[in-house]
Amino acid sequence: MGSTAALKELQRDLENKANDLSKLQKDIAKNHQVRKKYTIQLGENELALKELDLLNEDANVYKLIGPVLVKQDLAEANANVRKRIEYISAELKRLDATLQDLEEKQNSKKEAIFKVQQRIQSLQAGKGKA
Amino acid sequence: MAENPAIKKGTVTPISSLFPAEEAHKASKRVQDTIAERQEQLDQLKGFMNENTNLINLVHKLPDELHHDIMVPFGKAAFFPGRLIHTNEFMVLLGVDHYVERTSKQTIDILKRRGKGLENQLESLKAVMQDLKAEASFFDAKASEAVDGLVEIREDYVEESPSEVLPLTNNTKDAIEDEEYTHILSRIAELEQQEEEAEKANEFNKDEQIENDLGCSTSQSFTGQEVRSSKVEAANLQSLSKDGSSRGKGPALNDSSLNNKALELAEVKEKVQAPVLATADHKVSRPSSIPGSDSSKAFTGSIVEHAHDIGINSTEQQTGARSSKPVSRFKMQRK
Repeated sequence: MGSTAALKELQRDLENKANDLSKLQKDIAKNHQVRKKYTIQLGENELALKELDLLNEDANVYKLIGPVLVKQDLAEANANVRKRIEYISAELKRLDATLQDLEEKQNSKKEAIFKVQQRIQSLQAGKGKA
Repeated sequence: MAENPAIKKGTVTPISSLFPAEEAHKASKRVQDTIAERQEQLDQLKGFMNENTNLINLVHKLPDELHHDIMVPFGKAAFFPGRLIHTNEFMVLLGVDHYVERTSKQTIDILKRRGKGLENQLESLKAVMQDLKAEASFFDAKASEAVDGLVEIREDYVEESPSEVLPLTNNTKDAIEDEEYTHILSRIAELEQQEEEAEKANEFNKDEQIENDLGCSTSQSFTGQEVRSSKVEAANLQSLSKDGSSRGKGPALNDSSLNNKALELAEVKEKVQAPVLATADHKVSRPSSIPGSDSSKAFTGSIVEHAHDIGINSTEQQTGARSSKPVSRFKMQRK
């Protein structure tokens, strides 16, 4: 019957949408994790910057590159840390935007799923009556 | 507590319907889990702080000697005897792969600052824990209540007309909404009356005052209105017509609708509640030299009468002038 075919289609549609939704949710979770990491790094960098600012001009700063401690200039080290901080903040902002985007998509998906479910219900009710 | 629907409307809601026992249990468990997590974090932080303190002590002790004889770890499972030299030079990690050479004292400073940061974290975590614990206990309580079959009873609070306060109260509800409110109003009215009395000699002033009072009374002090009106009446009937309604109300109150109320408007201030105020406004719009225009509307609210003359106690007045006759009122005024 046409109605059963329509019903099957709707159900397939529902499945697809549900899959999309779960994918979206996984993306959102990943986004959260990456965000957390970045936030921690940002905190660390800020702490390092604070200590660097407290140093005398003639203090020896070394940078760890692989297994080697390389002597660095204080100004250089400061610049490095600052750049790192900027980079991380930019990344965080980008992630925020992506997160927003993902969340919006998720919401719209949820609504679409809901609508499909309603249609299925009405169809089934109609079939039952007929 | 027994609810008496006859007197007060109430709703009985079994707590189990608001917080089904199972759900409350689940919620409580969830909160407990979160609490456990936070507790772990708390322990971790505490571990860090301990390490930090130990390190500070060590760094403090090291420069006491020029060199220390130690067993140096070698690989995973071996040590060899060695010496720790340059006991005052420390390479401190500042976070992002950056190290800095510092002396013992400076290192201790750095470590202390780190320790403070840790402490702040600890404090905030503790606060979170507190909240979580409160939540958990709340849920537990609700769960146990629901299990016990306790019932939440809500009753509407209906103020009963304080008949003992007002001698005449036609309208119970409207009349006695706020006793305190009326008290305050009576105070204001008394003060206003005092002012007026001061200027009693001067009609003009009185009129002005009345108008002023009208202005404010429209907002709040009906009593002022009433008082003024009554006063003005006594002094000057013409002014009555000028101010029209509000004044008119006074006599109107006395004459018309007040019959049943036995409103001793005479010497007492009347506190007219909102409904009355409405009528007052209404009256203002229709100035009439003859009071008693809206007897029916005059008193939709109860009227609390206070001593008209400031010097007189309201109670006195009340007891004194029970008869709502204009005559007595004037008499009192004259007094």
